[in-house]
Order: sequence, then structure tokens, then C-alpha cells
Amino acid sequence: MYKFDVIVIGGGHAGAEAAFSIDRAGLSCALITMDESKVGQMSCNPAIGGLGKSHIVREIDAMGGLMAIATDMSGIQYRTLNTRKGDAVQALRVQCDRDLYKKAVQKILNKTNIKIISEEVVDLIISKNSVLGVITKDKRYLSKKTILTTGTFLNGKMYTGRDVISGGRTGEQPSIPLSKKLYGLKLPMGRLKTGTPARIKLSSIDTSKMEDQPGDTPTPWMSISNPPKKHQTQLSCFITRTNKKTHEIIKNNIHLSAMYSGEIQGIGPRYCPSIEDKIFKFQNKDSHQIFIEPEGVKKDLVYPNGISTSLPKETQAEFIRSIKGMENSEITEYGYAVEYDFVDPRSLEKTLQLNSLSNLYLAGQINGTTGYEEAAAQGLIAGINASNNIKKQEEFILDRSESYIGVMLDDLTSHGITEPYRMFTSRAEHRLLLSQNNAQQRLLMKARKIGMVDKETETKFLENERKYKDFVEQTLKKTKTNYFINKKNTKTKLNENKSLYKLLSRNDVNEKKLFKTNQTNEKHYQRAITEIKYSGYIAKQLREINKTKKQNNKKIPKNINYKEISGLSNEVREKLINNKPKTIGGANQIEGITPAALNLILIHIKKGELLKENA
Amino acid sequence: MSVVYALATPAAKSAICIFRVSGDGCFDDIAGLFGLDGFNPRTFYLVDMKNGERLVDRVGLILFKGPNSYTGEDSFEVYAHGSLGIMSLISDTFDSHGYSEAPPGEFTKRAFLNDKISLNEAESLSDLIDSTSSDEVFLSGSSLFGDLSNRLAEYSERVNLIRIRVEGEIDFSEEGEDFMDDGLLDDLQKVKEDFESFVSLCANKRDISQKKNILLVGPTNSGKSSIFNRLVGYERAIVTDRPGTTRDMISSEAFFETSVFSISDTAGMRKTDDVVEERGIEISLNQMSEADLVLGVFENYSEDMISFLEKTCGSNKFLSVQNKIDINKADVKKYDCCVSAKSGDGFKELRQEIASFFNETGVKNEKDFMVRDRHVKIFMSVTKNLEQAIQGLNNKKTLELVAEDLKNARSDLDELIGRKFSDSLLGDIFSSFCIGK
Ligand SMILES: Cc1cc2nc3c(=O)[nH]c(=O)nc-3n(C[C@H](O)[C@H](O)[C@H](O)COP(=O)(O)OP(=O)(O)OC[C@H]3O[C@@H](n4cnc5c(N)ncnc54)[C@H](O)[C@@H]3O)c2cc1C
Ligand SMILES: Nc1nc2c(ncn2[C@@H]2O[C@H](COP(=O)(O)OP(=O)(O)OP(=O)(O)O)[C@@H](O)[C@H]2O)c(=O)[nH]1
Ligand SMILES: [Mg+2]
Repeated sequence: MYKFDVIVIGGGHAGAEAAFSIDRAGLSCALITMDESKVGQMSCNPAIGGLGKSHIVREIDAMGGLMAIATDMSGIQYRTLNTRKGDAVQALRVQCDRDLYKKAVQKILNKTNIKIISEEVVDLIISKNSVLGVITKDKRYLSKKTILTTGTFLNGKMYTGRDVISGGRTGEQPSIPLSKKLYGLKLPMGRLKTGTPARIKLSSIDTSKMEDQPGDTPTPWMSISNPPKKHQTQLSCFITRTNKKTHEIIKNNIHLSAMYSGEIQGIGPRYCPSIEDKIFKFQNKDSHQIFIEPEGVKKDLVYPNGISTSLPKETQAEFIRSIKGMENSEITEYGYAVEYDFVDPRSLEKTLQLNSLSNLYLAGQINGTTGYEEAAAQGLIAGINASNNIKKQEEFILDRSESYIGVMLDDLTSHGITEPYRMFTSRAEHRLLLSQNNAQQRLLMKARKIGMVDKETETKFLENERKYKDFVEQTLKKTKTNYFINKKNTKTKLNENKSLYKLLSRNDVNEKKLFKTNQTNEKHYQRAITEIKYSGYIAKQLREINKTKKQNNKKIPKNINYKEISGLSNEVREKLINNKPKTIGGANQIEGITPAALNLILIHIKKGELLKENA
Repeated sequence: MSVVYALATPAAKSAICIFRVSGDGCFDDIAGLFGLDGFNPRTFYLVDMKNGERLVDRVGLILFKGPNSYTGEDSFEVYAHGSLGIMSLISDTFDSHGYSEAPPGEFTKRAFLNDKISLNEAESLSDLIDSTSSDEVFLSGSSLFGDLSNRLAEYSERVNLIRIRVEGEIDFSEEGEDFMDDGLLDDLQKVKEDFESFVSLCANKRDISQKKNILLVGPTNSGKSSIFNRLVGYERAIVTDRPGTTRDMISSEAFFETSVFSISDTAGMRKTDDVVEERGIEISLNQMSEADLVLGVFENYSEDMISFLEKTCGSNKFLSVQNKIDINKADVKKYDCCVSAKSGDGFKELRQEIASFFNETGVKNEKDFMVRDRHVKIFMSVTKNLEQAIQGLNNKKTLELVAEDLKNARSDLDELIGRKFSDSLLGDIFSSFCIGK
């Protein structure tokens, strides 16, 4: 019999991050996963970041997680997206070497005290509604907390045309007994699906016929807190397009697609449609973009981003070879759709602890999300909360207004999902506050307080903050000028001397010409420009945030009688009676409490107040 | 509970409007308001509604004795003519009796508090429940109903369609979709223009209350007071055949041609050798500068006095009126208008003349909707946000700020309609564009 503080089941992105945070908290942790050589495996596209996602990665980085560092240890193309838009919606996307990424994660974990165990978990040890450990094929492990991060493996089924294979990922076994166990526990569950395209030999395609897409120069880092010393060799991606011929082939064979033959019931993400979907839903488009992404530095393999499919192998080969530059494609692995179980995240608290069973946390794709970043963030939050709970510390819950992670967890636990959940910047109503570049300012000290960030990183951060303040106060506010160059590159005279800081709030100022930056203050200058430009909008958002906070703080009287409130469903009434929320915000957090129900409660409280007033 | 009143019909020009009044003691004022000494509940009365001495409108009235009423309290309903001016006057009348205007949902709330209805029955309340999530469900009060709200919903939708494209460009810029073709800026400009012309159809209640002032001047005994009485609709001023009857200025409201006017009768000017009596001049000069329109009333033509008056108040706000055309011949060449206060001849034309004077000079245009200060404030904020978004697109300002402006414009509009900003943005993007790698 083995005993750990926390057992993490599954060595994907959620599992790795969860285990890492538990180790940081100084607790003992076992990471039990089917195959330890696959820890940190990227199942699909070997890229980290992108719109809405780089924000999450930087937040993980600010809170002491490993994802950004592993990205930098394996990144082979860095590109900033949305450069023509403002800071809040810019995003770094990093193409990684699939093998190097996995190795980086393993290297980081191997430096810790985490015990990595290659076994399949087949059952949970449960007593009196509390999870006490796990059972693998031939052993039992006890723990105070258990975190389940099994990704797409629960009863995973892979579809290629008419062929159906059981499995969580190409070449890997599904997790069936555990799925049965969860169904047996009567957790609310459902099926989702996602897909992946074929993999092709780089040597078999003609990239000279495609548009070249190099990365940013100078090459940036994903990690702000602790990037490695040196970048990997940087490579280009390429862009090509589907054409009429491609579409014709797919249309003629659509009946063979697993997704169109009705075999798959799981719901797929609308933002990540298969090529079949794209062609059928948008008939007016006769061409779709494909990114050809290298799989690694020394690898003869590319990932054709944009043509995920569940067509039969022959059709895949045929349509791929109709694409410019891909006429002689040698396919090493065919695309497939994967269908898997997920647990309705409304059955979770914001700590990711399951409502109905104590000591069990769920994180990652099992909660209905998709994407490495979304999974990793949940792993981190579940890990922190499991540790905090063991140490009898406060729950660690991030607000929607301070992080994308907070937005995601709130969306998941209060609204559930209707399709695999992916982050987008437009999900964050306070988007302007949440830049990928200010994640540390938002979260670092919070994470430091609970020991997720070391002293050294904190010092470095505070030092940088001090330098920024100095730059604003000493340079921007004290340097004055009586003219500036405007956006049309002509000189504008001023009546009186104005500080650079003042001038930056004007729309017509050419910022590049206003102040010559050097290497040390370039970042500070950019940050100041953004902060000044956003300031009016941010003030408004802060007012809104305070308003909602006030509303959430509205007290529910202790003696409230929910039975008196007509219009509440029995289910909701029971939940309220059991949970005894102290505030409206608290009631709001109970799963299944609708806005209409909240209003009924508010009206009831109000009625009491009014009757008292009028008495 | 205290007496509250509310306009139960949309605050828009229509055939009739209905006001509801409810609260303890609201019957105390029945005699003063409607001249009723006693009444039977649930009976329809046709009465003159008065504000003090002034006639407000001839209205229908039904009274309900609590608890046999919608709210469970004493209450009554007033059916009046549906011009904005009358609505505004009736509100003023209630205000002057110390009644306060009820926020939306107040009547249902009272019904609920008095156990007249259960929450489930309170359909309008349940609308509110669905639409707002604020803790001020009852007290929100910014929302508008009826046609006005439908119009606002249209604008909200139009703003959203543009926002979808901007957000698409932000979140899916890598997809090779053309979210923001050139038409976007034009579309946005059009929304703003349309919204502004819609706003111009909304009159702030305060502006409506600022009546159009008309001043009657002229020689003694020319029939100013008689004309005045006819215009206001009842024997407000004393009329005698003695010159110099009217001493002090009196004013009253009048409604015609769907507008409200404030009409003032003055003491007559005595024609003496030095043209005008000293005192007459003094008063007239003061009043004439305040008035929006001056009507000079004459029985006998006096070129001197007409040109004097025209000069003093400026020809652009002076109309000459010949009175007593029942006994003298009408002289349409010399006067702008010819009437008989005795027979009523020419009054139709006079009223039209007055109304068209106000329309042409644009002193006050006719409006379709009546709104409050708080609405006007939000309208202004919508316009400002749209303008900012346009500026932003013009100056190639960063797009996330344009998106923010559009979001703010939309949530303002939704606040006016009283529904919570519902964000189906991503779904809208996915259904309109091909997204995804
Ligand atoms: C075919 C496919 C296509 C995808 N396409 C995309 C895409 O286009 N874009 C995108 O962003 N994301 C995509 N994803 C999703 C992305 O890969 C996942 O969101 C992410 O990897 C989830 O991380 P996770 O930690 O939750 O789970 P995973 O990375 O799936 O890791 C689960 C781990 O748990 C282990 N495990 C499972 N069951 C047991 C058990 N009983 N006992 C022990 N260990 C167990 C597995 O061995 C595995 O190591 C795709 C995934 C797949 C499979
Ligand atoms: N025949 C006829 N008599 C009229 C008409 N209008 C007014 N009168 C009479 O003229 C006399 C004066 O009328 P008022 O309305 O008092 O005249 P006024 O201009 O207000 O007079 P002062 O207040 O004294 O300046 C009264 O006897 C009215 O009955 C009219 O249209 N026709
Ligand atoms: Mg008179």
C-alpha cells in the first residue's frame, strides 16, 4: 500500500501542471499515467498559444506553472498575432517540436519529487462519499486528494471513414473501466468529439509552391518569469489553400465520412470544424486556407493545419494530393475523429472539486474543454486547491476580471458547455484589463502568497515594476516638449510645454517619433502607451466590476424561508436549503441556480424589506 | 403606500393615453382634480380634469376602491387625449399634487405585496425577472416599453451585427476571412445617423413642458380677452364692453393642432396722442420679448400701432389679427388673420396659423415619443459610443477599443429596453463566418 498527499491520474497537460503545483506546495504527489514516456504529449497540433490562449499560458507562467517554460525549451517558430491591433488582443503563438516539448515537460517534472508511475487506473477507492485513493490493474494507492485528468481517453473511440478503433489517441489504449466507474457514480456525463488531420512527410511536399511564413524577429519568449537561455533553431511555416478539385473530391465522398454517416453522436467544436464541415456549411467559399506546420527541427513531418477529417484513408490521400504543393504527399498517419466522455463541469466547484464526492478534483479535457492551454490551466487550479485544502488554506479562485483562467472556470462551472470549450478573447468582458503582457502584474503576488512563485522570481518582478514606475515618473512625466510629430509625419507646434506623458493621450501623436527607446526602456514605453490609451476604458470597466461585486455581496437573511418563495423549482429550492448561501453571489455560485431564480430570491428579500419599511 | 402615478400606455403620440394612479389617499383629491363630489366605484365618468383653475383636458375616469383593485389599494384610471402635450400636463398635475411617478413594475409590485397576485401570475413582473439581473428589479426604471422599445431593439441588433464583424476580426484574424470589408464603416455611419434621427423624434418631457408662449396685445376693447377665452376653451378672462377691463396679465394653457401653448392676455393699450400709453408700453415690451409669438388684436386698423408692434418685437414673431368680423368687413389684405370671437369664425385658420408659425420657425417640433432625462442621458451615451467607434475606425485606432465602444453602445441600448445584455456573440460569429483551422 502506497500513500501520497495527492494522486494525479493522467500525464497530459492538465496532469503535468497539477502535479508540478503540488510539488511546489511541498506535498507528496504521484502522477499515475498509462505510459510515462508519453507525459506531456501533444495529441494534436504541436503549437502552444494563439488568440486567447497565450493569455492563459502567461497566466500559468505568472503563477509558477511549467507550460511557458516547456514551450520555450521546444519552440521552433514564434509569431505574434493581431500585431495591428492593440496590446490586449495581441497573442503569441509558438510552434513547438513535438518531441522536444514532451521531453521538456518530462525534464522539468524529473527535477521534482513527483513520483511518476506507468499504470492504468481502473477504479477509485470510495468510502462514505469520499475518494480515498485509486486502484490500478494490480495495486492500490491511497491519497488525501485525487485529481482526474484523463483527457480524451475516457471510452475514447477513433473514427476514420467506416473504421472505428478504441483508443484515446493514435496508438494509445482508451480508458474504459474508469469511464464505467464514473457512469456508475451517476456523474452527469456526455460525449464530445474532436478531430485531427493526416500527418505528411515534409520531404514529399513542395514548399516552394507555398507562401512562406517566418516567425517574429527578434524571437520573443513565451515565459516572462523564467525562459531558458537559448532558443531552438527557428523554422518557417507555409500557407497553401484547398481548391475546387479538393472540394469536389470531398463532396463526392462525404457519405463515407464518419461524421456524416451519423455514427458519431458527440458534439464537435464549431471553431475547429473538419474540412467536410467547412465545405458543407460554407458552400460559397471555394477555397480554404491551410497552414503547413513543421513537427520538429530534425523531423521529416508536417502537420497540415486546417484539414482535420474523418474521411476514409483513400479519400484523404486523394484530396490532400489535389492541393497545391502537396501533389506527391506521403502520408504517415491518417486523420481521424475522436469521440470521448466528458463530465458536465457544472458538477464542479470553482476549485474544480467535484460537488458530489469529496477529495476528488477534475481537470482538463475531461471537463469539456479543448486545448493544451485550457487543460494546463485547470490542472494548475485543481493542484493549487487540492494543496491549499490539505494545508487548510483558503480556496484559490480567480475572478473573471483578473484573468482568463477565472473567465474559463466561471463559464465552465456556472454555464456548462454546449461544445468543446476553447478560449477566445471575446469571452472576457473585461478584455482590456487582461493582456498577455500584464499577467504577472495581475497574478504573480497572489501566487507568491501561496508559495507557487519563488522569492527570486518575485524579486525580479518587483524590480521590473519599480523600473517601470521610475520610467513613467522620471522620464515620461518630466520630459517636456513644445512640439511633436503627428501620425501624418508632420510637425505640430504646441502653445506650451507638455510632458511626453500628457502627449501620449492624444490620438494624433506618432508614438515612435515622440520618444527614442533603447533596449532597456522599450518594453516600459510600450506598456505606458497601452496603459495611457486604455485608461478611460479601463476606468469604466473597473466601475462595472465594482458594481457587480456590490450586487454579489448583497446579504441573504439567515432566516430566509425558501419554501415561501413561489416560482422556485423544487430542485433549486433544495439546493438553496442545503447550501445556505450567505450572499447573492454565493447563491449564484451554486450549480443550477438560474438568473431567474436569483431574481426571485432578490424580490423576496426586497418584499421583506419593503413590508418592514411600510409597517 | 404613497400615491404613485404612471402612464400605462406608451409615451408616444396616439389617440388616447391612460394614466393609472394608486395609493392611500388618492381619492382625497378627486373633487379638486375632477370636480366630483362623490362617486360609484367602477363607473365611467366623463369629466374636466383641472390643475387648480386650469383646465387640463376633458377625460374619462374610473375609480377603484381597495382592495377591489389591481394593486389592492384605492386607485383610479384616467383616459385622456393622446398628445404628448397632454401627457406632459397630466404628469405635471399629478406632480403638483405630490404624487410621484411610479418606476416600471411598481403597480405589479404593489399588487404582489398586497397579495393580489402570486409571483407566477405577475406576467409583467416575470418579464422583468427574465430581463434584468440587478438587485433593483423593481427600482430599475430606465427601461422603456412599447413601440419605443421595439425601435431601440432594432438599433441594438444593428450595432450587434457590426460588432460581430469587429470581434470576428479580433479573435479569428488568422482565418483568412474578410470580416471587415469596406462597407463596415458605412454601415456604422448609417446606424449612427438613423439613431440620431430617431432620437430627434424623442422629446424630453421637460422640453415638452416648456410651452410655446403666445401673447395677446392690442388696443383696449378690441376683443383680446374674448379671443383668449376662445383659444383656451372656457371663460377664463372677464369680458365687458368697457375699455380697460383687463388690468393684470393672465395666462392659461391651450391645446390645438396637437400642441400645448401657453397663452397670455394683457391689458389693452390705449391709443392716445403719443401713440401708446406709458404703462402699456412698459408691460408689453417686457412681455413681448419673453413671448414666442405676439398676436396684435385690432377692431379698427391702426397702421401706427401695427408698425410700432412689429418694430418692437420683430416682424418674425408678430401676427396681426382683425377681430369682430361679424360686424366689420374682414380685410385680409391688411391683416394676417381675420376672426370673430363672437361667432368663432376664422378661429380654425387662426389656430393653424399659430401652429404653422411654430413649425416653420422650428421653435418646437412635433415629436413621436416622450422620454425622460435618464433616457436622454443614455441616448447621448449611445451616440457618443457610436461616434467614438466611427472615429476609431477612421483613425485606424486599435480595433479592441472600437469593439469596446460598440459593446458599450449595445449594452446601453439593452439597458433602455430593460433586458440584460445577452451575449451570443461567438455563436453569431460561427454562424456567419467560416472559422477554424
Ligand atoms: C485527435 C485529437 C485532436 C485534437 N485537436 C485539437 C485541436 O485542434 N486544438 C486543440 O486546441 N486541442 C485539440 N485537441 C485537444 C488537446 O489535445 C487536449 O485538449 C489536451 O491535450 C487535453 O489535455 P489533458 O491533460 O486534459 O488530457 P490529455 O493530454 O489527453 O492527457 C490525458 C492523459 O491521461 C492518461 N490517462 C487517461 N486515462 C488514464 C487512466 N485510466 N489511468 C492512467 N492514465 C490515464 C493518458 O495516458 C494521457 O497521458 C485534440 C485532441 C485529440 C486527441
Ligand atoms: N361683435 C363682436 N363683439 C366682440 C367681438 N369680440 C369681442 N367683442 C366685444 O367687445 C367688447 C370688448 O371685449 P374684450 O374681450 O373685453 O376686449 P379687450 O380687448 O380684452 O378689452 P380690454 O381688456 O379692455 O383691453 C366686449 O363687449 C365683447 O363682447 C367680436 O368678435 N364681435
Ligand atoms: Mg380684456
